[in-house]
Amino acid sequence: MKIIENSKVKEKLYVDKLKNGLTVMIIPKKGIQKKYLIWGTNYGSIDSNFIVPGEKQETKVPMGIAHFLEHKMFEQPNGTNSLDTLTSLGVDANAYTTNDHTAYLFEATDNFYEAMTELMDYVQHPYFTDENVEKEKGIIGQEINMYSDSPDWKVYLNALKAMYHNNPVKIDIAGTIESISEINKDILYKCYNTFYNPSNMTLVISGDFNPEEMIEEVKNRLIDVKSNGKIKRIYPEEPETIVQEKIEEKLEVSQPMYVIGIKDTNNDCDKEIVKKHISIEIILRLIIGKSSKLYKQLYDEGIIYSRPSLDYEFSKTYAHIMIMGQSNNPEEVYKRIKMEIKNLKEKGINGEDMDRTKKMIYGAYVREYNDVADIARMFLSDNFKGINSFDYLEEIEGINVEYLMQVLDDVFKEDKMVISIVKN
Amino acid sequence: MQYKQIELKKAIKLHTIKSDKFKTNLLSVFLTVKLDKEKVTSNALIPSVLRRGSKNMQTQEKINKELEELYGASFDCGLDKAGDNQVIKFYIETINDNYLPENDRNILKISLEKLLELVFDPYLEDDCFSKEYVKQEKNNLKNIIESKIDNKGRYALDRCIEEMYKNEPFGLYKYGYVEDLDKINEKDLYKEYQNLIKDSKIDIFITGNIDENIIEQIKDNENIKKLQDREPKYEPHKIEDIVQKEEKIVNESMDVTQGKLVIGLNINIDNEKDKYIVLMYNNILGGSATSKMFQNIREKEHLAYVANSIYFRHKNVIFINCGIEIENYDKALSLTREQLEDMKKGNFTDEDINNCKKGIIATIKGIEDEQDTMITYCFGQELSQTGVKLDEYQDIIEKITKEQIVDIANKVSINTIYFLNN
Repeated sequence: MKIIENSKVKEKLYVDKLKNGLTVMIIPKKGIQKKYLIWGTNYGSIDSNFIVPGEKQETKVPMGIAHFLEHKMFEQPNGTNSLDTLTSLGVDANAYTTNDHTAYLFEATDNFYEAMTELMDYVQHPYFTDENVEKEKGIIGQEINMYSDSPDWKVYLNALKAMYHNNPVKIDIAGTIESISEINKDILYKCYNTFYNPSNMTLVISGDFNPEEMIEEVKNRLIDVKSNGKIKRIYPEEPETIVQEKIEEKLEVSQPMYVIGIKDTNNDCDKEIVKKHISIEIILRLIIGKSSKLYKQLYDEGIIYSRPSLDYEFSKTYAHIMIMGQSNNPEEVYKRIKMEIKNLKEKGINGEDMDRTKKMIYGAYVREYNDVADIARMFLSDNFKGINSFDYLEEIEGINVEYLMQVLDDVFKEDKMVISIVKN
Repeated sequence: MQYKQIELKKAIKLHTIKSDKFKTNLLSVFLTVKLDKEKVTSNALIPSVLRRGSKNMQTQEKINKELEELYGASFDCGLDKAGDNQVIKFYIETINDNYLPENDRNILKISLEKLLELVFDPYLEDDCFSKEYVKQEKNNLKNIIESKIDNKGRYALDRCIEEMYKNEPFGLYKYGYVEDLDKINEKDLYKEYQNLIKDSKIDIFITGNIDENIIEQIKDNENIKKLQDREPKYEPHKIEDIVQKEEKIVNESMDVTQGKLVIGLNINIDNEKDKYIVLMYNNILGGSATSKMFQNIREKEHLAYVANSIYFRHKNVIFINCGIEIENYDKALSLTREQLEDMKKGNFTDEDINNCKKGIIATIKGIEDEQDTMITYCFGQELSQTGVKLDEYQDIIEKITKEQIVDIANKVSINTIYFLNN
């Protein structure tokens, strides 16, 4: 077991790769009552085309299947449902699916080991029947309907559609009512057997534990499955260009909602990714953060009334910036952000502004280490991107104006920008 | 963890929660006043104007720059309804000095000064709020009020509350009303602010790795010294008599794909202690994945993805929520009625009760792990004037019996059925 210590937040990460290929990460937190366990597989909504290890032929599965599988994993042969069992133990259990991973989790104060047994058992024992698959289509159908009434989800998804020609990131994680109608138990088993192999999975635990003992507890609950070798994932070729600069949809909203996207070239999560990610966060705040000139102007002019959310989202197959907010004049926000980017490129970045923003972002990273749930989720999702979360605390120091200018030129390109609007 | 309270002046309390397990310190000031149609809008506007500027930090830009220098100390304001009160909340969260690269500044001390300045020493022009700030914030608040339609689930719940408590304080929308906003000018608003500072119940919370000096620092703070003793104009929580009328049915149309069914329930109890039993009742009815609503509406009948119920303890009211196909309205409603009847008949097992107890106790044990949750808990105790400690709370839950829950179930009745459809 490897121990990685971070002197800034004074926390330790214990990480081990077991014989069957499973990665286990433990972050002890002394004095905290809550204990959190999350088990994820590097399998998300974008993985619908692949070659099963040992096979030659390509497999194509319906959109939304990773999410459907997540719902169905709780079902047990004896008719019980593991979500009920976990809830009965007094633990807070859940699961979720993203573009690049699926995760099963619970938070406990008591009955941690009983819950751990249950969770590890159900994740290793799928049970799908024609009947239980059919029933889920009704529930997920209502989940899809709920999102279709949500303007923020629509405006976000449309921005992805404007940026991506082919990459499946542009498709709703839950799929569509039509795509899920094609799902049956055989397809579910095939996806399960391919992606829920320990070599494709990571388990993260955070709480007041002895890590050496905990790793044994994990091993004791694993069934004998061999590492199945590399899964070949097939993603459609994605041009670097955007699809269309503007996309608009009508939906009942009080004020237009917008997402401004900047498509980035896929960076395959190389070593520089953490530094690049932090730099993008700094630049976004210099452009439209709360202390920026542009924010003040747009606010004073009554064009925006709260700071837009600022994100850089990436996996091994896609990368983009998302600036999301509400405004009575999104086109104007878009125009002014473009101008500000140009301005920043020409005039350069002020060192004082950079230092202040770095301090703020550093503070935000430190804050992530308060809560066991935040910690475990962060380590899991970073791990699937090939990142050790501690690196964010270490890399921020070395970022300077030259580096920021480089990222500004490489990423913030006008011809990669799109705007998605939802309005009445 | 050590919790202490000190009365700084009459109706002004300092609460300190000392714990060394966090990376952060969280400071907050809560101003509590009775909800009132006449004042709800101006009270909602006040925090927006305060965060525009203070005496020494006249602009938002200046405030944000200073906070960024403090490692992104985050300043936030919020509005809440607690029973028949409006609570105006101000927070600053800072990084504990132990986790900063340089140890030359006492960030907790500085941010405490800043928080008190932002709340109690605003930026003024000619002894009045800035005309420009007020004008802009009126416009922003208008947007916020109007944005309540953007989240359909939340909107349906807000509307059900409004209908169930028509012409009562709790039925007021916490952000106020556009028609009242138009009438507000900077002079009146400043007067309202002065009244708010003079009349509200004030609670100051400090949590984190704090030392005793902080208490002295607060006592010596000029902004605190200025404050007077007061007879606070707020409503301590009390149990209200319920006059049962006929079920009220409200239908509303909007351009939606999914229908949202919200049902408001009266609970006819007569003492504060029964609220713990109601909490258990709600948990079995719709508070968890093993609850009757989740199991029957979602898992058995597949009518919904969301099927739950929430208990607003301060007001002693339960709301049931379901997101359904519009054509399934009758089916969902009758199934919900069946669940309420089942509860009355005691059609739930000892196992159901034990499971719920475990869930609630886990939540109680986790309260100390989060600073904001701890503040919320202490503030709730303060408003209900009960002073129940966490281990006592746990004890009370453990002792609840099935008979007590059935007894509560028979005091529950539907008040309002609200349906958002197209």
